[in-house]
Amino acid sequence: MNIQLTLALRYLLGRKLRTFLTTLAVIFGVLVIFGMNIILPTMLAALQANVQGASGLVDFSATHISGEPFSISIADKLKNVDGLRAYSPSLTRIINIPADFYDNDSAQPDKVTALSLMGVIPEDARSVRTYPLVEGRYLNDTDTNAVIISRTLSDLLKLNLGDTMRIPSADGVAELVIVGILPARTSPGNEEIVVNLPTAQIITNQLNKINTIDMVIETFAQEERRNQIQSNIHNALGENFTIGTQLKADTQMFASLQMGQAMMNLFGVLALFMGGFIIFNTFRTIVAERRRDIGMLRALGANRKTIINIILAEGLLQGIFGTGVGILFGYFIGAGIVKAAGPTMSQFLNISLGEPVVTPTLIVVTILLGVGVTVFAGLFPALSASRVTPLEALRPSANEKIFNQRTSIGAVGGAVIIVLTIAALVSGRAEFIIPGGVLFLLGLILIAPALIRPFALLFGKFLALFYAKRGISDLAQGNLTRQPARVAVTASTSMLSLAIIVAMGGLISSLTFTLYDLIRANLGSDYLFVPPSIALWSSNVGVNEDFAEQLKKIDGVDEVSALRYSGAISNGQPISLLSLDPASFPRVSALFFQESIFADDESAYASLDESRNIIVNGALLAALQKKVGDKIEIVSVNGVFEYQIVAVATDMLNAKVTTGYISHTNMKNDFDVQDDVFIQLNLTQNADREAADLAIRTLAEKYPTFKVISGVEYYNTMKSQMDATFSAMYILFLVLAIPSLIAMINTLTIGVIERTREIGMIRAVGGTKKQISAMVVSEALLLSAIGTAFGILGGIYLAYVMVTAMKEIFPFGFVFPTTGILIGVAIGLLFGVFAAFIPSRQASQMNVVEALRYE
Amino acid sequence: MSVRNAILGLLAQKPRHGYELRIAFSAVIGGVGWDVKPAQIYTTLDRLEESGLVQTKSDIGEGREPDRRIYAITRDGRGALHEWFNDSIPTEHQRDEFYVKLMIALISEEANPDKIIQTQRARLYQELHDATAQRDMFNAKTELAHILLFDKAIMHLEADLRWLDMIEMRIETIKEQPFMEVEIRRRGRPKKGDKGSTYPPPETLSKNI
Amino acid sequence: MSNIQVEQLTKIYGTGSTAIIALDHVTLTIKEGEFVAIMGPSGCGKSTLLHLLGGLDKPSQGQVIIAGHNLSELNDDALTQLRRRKIGFIFQFFNLIPVLNAVENAALPVTLDGVKPNEAKSKATQWLTTFGLSERLMNRPDQLSGGQQQRVAIARALVADPELILADEPTGNLDTRASDEIASLLRDVSKQYNRTIVMVTHDPRIAAYADRIIFLKDGKVVDETLLERKNGKNAEDVVEKMKRLGN
Repeated sequence: MNIQLTLALRYLLGRKLRTFLTTLAVIFGVLVIFGMNIILPTMLAALQANVQGASGLVDFSATHISGEPFSISIADKLKNVDGLRAYSPSLTRIINIPADFYDNDSAQPDKVTALSLMGVIPEDARSVRTYPLVEGRYLNDTDTNAVIISRTLSDLLKLNLGDTMRIPSADGVAELVIVGILPARTSPGNEEIVVNLPTAQIITNQLNKINTIDMVIETFAQEERRNQIQSNIHNALGENFTIGTQLKADTQMFASLQMGQAMMNLFGVLALFMGGFIIFNTFRTIVAERRRDIGMLRALGANRKTIINIILAEGLLQGIFGTGVGILFGYFIGAGIVKAAGPTMSQFLNISLGEPVVTPTLIVVTILLGVGVTVFAGLFPALSASRVTPLEALRPSANEKIFNQRTSIGAVGGAVIIVLTIAALVSGRAEFIIPGGVLFLLGLILIAPALIRPFALLFGKFLALFYAKRGISDLAQGNLTRQPARVAVTASTSMLSLAIIVAMGGLISSLTFTLYDLIRANLGSDYLFVPPSIALWSSNVGVNEDFAEQLKKIDGVDEVSALRYSGAISNGQPISLLSLDPASFPRVSALFFQESIFADDESAYASLDESRNIIVNGALLAALQKKVGDKIEIVSVNGVFEYQIVAVATDMLNAKVTTGYISHTNMKNDFDVQDDVFIQLNLTQNADREAADLAIRTLAEKYPTFKVISGVEYYNTMKSQMDATFSAMYILFLVLAIPSLIAMINTLTIGVIERTREIGMIRAVGGTKKQISAMVVSEALLLSAIGTAFGILGGIYLAYVMVTAMKEIFPFGFVFPTTGILIGVAIGLLFGVFAAFIPSRQASQMNVVEALRYE
Repeated sequence: MSVRNAILGLLAQKPRHGYELRIAFSAVIGGVGWDVKPAQIYTTLDRLEESGLVQTKSDIGEGREPDRRIYAITRDGRGALHEWFNDSIPTEHQRDEFYVKLMIALISEEANPDKIIQTQRARLYQELHDATAQRDMFNAKTELAHILLFDKAIMHLEADLRWLDMIEMRIETIKEQPFMEVEIRRRGRPKKGDKGSTYPPPETLSKNI
Repeated sequence: MSNIQVEQLTKIYGTGSTAIIALDHVTLTIKEGEFVAIMGPSGCGKSTLLHLLGGLDKPSQGQVIIAGHNLSELNDDALTQLRRRKIGFIFQFFNLIPVLNAVENAALPVTLDGVKPNEAKSKATQWLTTFGLSERLMNRPDQLSGGQQQRVAIARALVADPELILADEPTGNLDTRASDEIASLLRDVSKQYNRTIVMVTHDPRIAAYADRIIFLKDGKVVDETLLERKNGKNAEDVVEKMKRLGN
């Protein structure tokens, strides 16, 4: 083996505990990145499989860019396209199955939560795909309620040939007779059921509409020819159609998953960054410890490059090992989460998850990141090692002076940054405050080494009160100030994680404060008719107006107002378009206005009916980069329409999705949508509530798509759901704090190893084991106190930054993060004591004679 | 003294011929650097016999060497031997010729004292060099006793060298210090009127370094 | 060929009034195969001289020529290579790498020079065996006595077949017996393998093992003593003796 690697390996093995702790930091970062990144593609893969189905022979599929259904007449345009052999128009929709729809048993978990309904023209469909029936017959043109299902579904629902199968429809429930059974499915995704096109159109209330055209082109077409045919198709259909070899995953879902992934990646990168910090710290210590070894190697004829290589090889080995183990654990954790989340996912998003997906890109990127960060962290210590002169082998000397100089430069720079960022805060301008957050943390990191001594003195006073009798707190304090740089790096690591916790606390308290108000106003109606998936409107089957009309007729009902949905595109940005009735909507619900060209909210609602006016939410406004009063072009299946933004407002459920609100009238004219996906209902003041309740629930039974809940009930459910989410977030960020624990353990352990002889001496002159361990514990407490203090400072700033940033999208005020600070302090203390556990044991259990002999 | 006692000791082990005694003695002292002549052995033996510490008897044996005498230790001889064993050996350090030479050089100013030190040092180093080389010839597993004898020489040489270094370092100071020489006076009774006559006279050439 | 020439070598630390003259125009010639001891009180400049000879430090004035190379004319990489191939170092504190075993430590200079590990190790093993460490080859430094560690260090200094060996207080950290052992080993190496050795020591007993002793004082050469090698020990004696060092 190469001498650099041999040396690196031996040194690593020689200090097993330290190597373990350092590597742990790498493992952790890699684990988070890798684990989180296999979860998302798994979901995406399931989603794609859902949409795609068994695409079989299909070469191309055409869809409208908005993802919405379009007229069947469009398909005729393909009749004479050169190179196209066959095409099949279809209407494919995911049908969410309400809870307990098939088994009527709330105790049993539902086996089927969503189906993919495929409406086809039987002969056309056969020309692009094969339907190898195992039982029964294929569809024919005259069928009205015939369906073909797979063997798997047939077994799942215990339905056989000739049986009747129920599915939710726009009219309530549709009953279909099973005429054919396909082989058992092997791919993940939703079960497909195939019906005649008109049947599907009735079920989904989309008369004369299709949303997909599957195509087969001439056989043996080469790449060039395929591209040519694809452009022929494109020309025939027009620019608003997407022609792909496979259908794109639902854009809305994709966007929301991507945001999740981005957050997780940020989380992983932060963890890895802390890992890098820890490794940097360790390597600096290593270089300091080995000055004489390094000098000797130089004297023996190792050049600077060799020295750099030895240190980097150590980083490389740790990086490779840590990354390897991290990937392994990450896979298991990711797979575990996928398994655990499976049921929830299918409940919420109607997706059946397959096996975890690991892409080669992910592996490569993770390895590059993991190994790269480790090696990079070792680079600066390696460079400083290469500057060790051979003379140090003969006359070792400490090189602290240069460092002190650097410390003071850093401290001045840090102080300047902090002053600037505080000025930014005072200015109250978002464009200064937002970058200020990161800079403020940077400033704290820079100033940290200079502040270690005063902080240690201050906290040392407190500690002295506890440990007065043992007389070692001075020693602990002295030990800390001896290596201010190392302590500063460690404190900075804990500072980062605690700052994030405190900031999250701030964000969450600000958010909850505002949110609960919003829920009450927005979803405070007496009754809510909620579809299976409230975040992702497009997967819900709407109901036609009849339901709302019938509800209105019930005695005691004061007002009923519904929301309708259509997907749309503006300037390439997918929009979740919701329509409302300007007259009735304000009486049962409310939008939360931030900005408007009208003086009052009523006029804003009313304006929606007057012309093509739209109210957008903050997320959409930001995505489109427009202002109130601007006009935007929205692409629908019927063409392109120009809408004017009249206000910025948001509602509870759609705050994070790019959403626009228009009137029902415009929705019908421009988007052809008339079915309700969400209904709110208010009773009159003096209604017979029990009778009305009974009547409402009886009526709703015919429309199983909706779950009927009372407003109060809903408020409570939402509140508890949000509380759970927030606790989950706290736990998540608690996990993020773990690297800081590792950093502290690391620093303390290195401190103990370094001072082995000193500790032996203290023991020899009469220090008890208790005193030694108290010394290490107080050191740990000092260390964590410093980190916590810095973390709280940084956290408050960061919280303010986050709130300021979120304000753009969602209107809420800054609330002081008391909870976050309390949690931060608790974690700081807990980690302090926890981090001291191993090193203090190690220090107090030391064999005195061996310790004295230690070199 | 040590030759006498060594002979007594060797005879206490067993009666021996004169020649045999000489071989044994050489073996004890290592045969290097301390050459004992046969004459010295016999003279010593004669004196021991006179004092009644050893006695002789003829070894007629096979008649080939009729005049060969065998010596044996007597009771008094054993007593003298044990007296030696029970006593400690005094060391001799005060008389040092180099020291005298250096001082004379200082006083007489006939020679450069630095040069004298250097010459002496070169010699001591050469002796040390030789001693270490000779000691290296012995096998520590079988001849340790001899090695230890050389170690004595080496260590003394080393001490002498350190002493030389010390002198060299402080020789300037010595030069500055007043040289205490006693006033020379005539022999016989002091004349009338002479003052300060003391008796006995102070030691000559006393000096503290 | 491999004589060492030191001409007007001067080293001054610091500047102005605080300047310390560590070496003051020292001129020396050391012959091939000579074993030279440099002696003098602490602060006399003996270590500085050694550092300059090894190219570990740059002179303020004057030059050092080793095996035809003028050290002042070499850059860091060239100096490093010269140290690797032409100079062996022995330190007071042994300076063995704690995580490598005896063979690996001894093989280090050739390994650093890119010699194949097996070849490097077999060279190192030969030297260690010569120095009576054949049973300690796989031991790490902390499993060896001081004298044994220093013998590994000497093997390390010799493994690249250097023309010059520089030893800085090689016995400074050893007891009397181990000191004699090491000094005697150095003398044997210089005699048996015709190596030039320059050793700094403050111990007269150790210096006496050399062929020549140079006395430094206040950065100047004040005296020199040539010692005669009288008793002719033959090569077999030396090898035999080295083997006995084992325990």
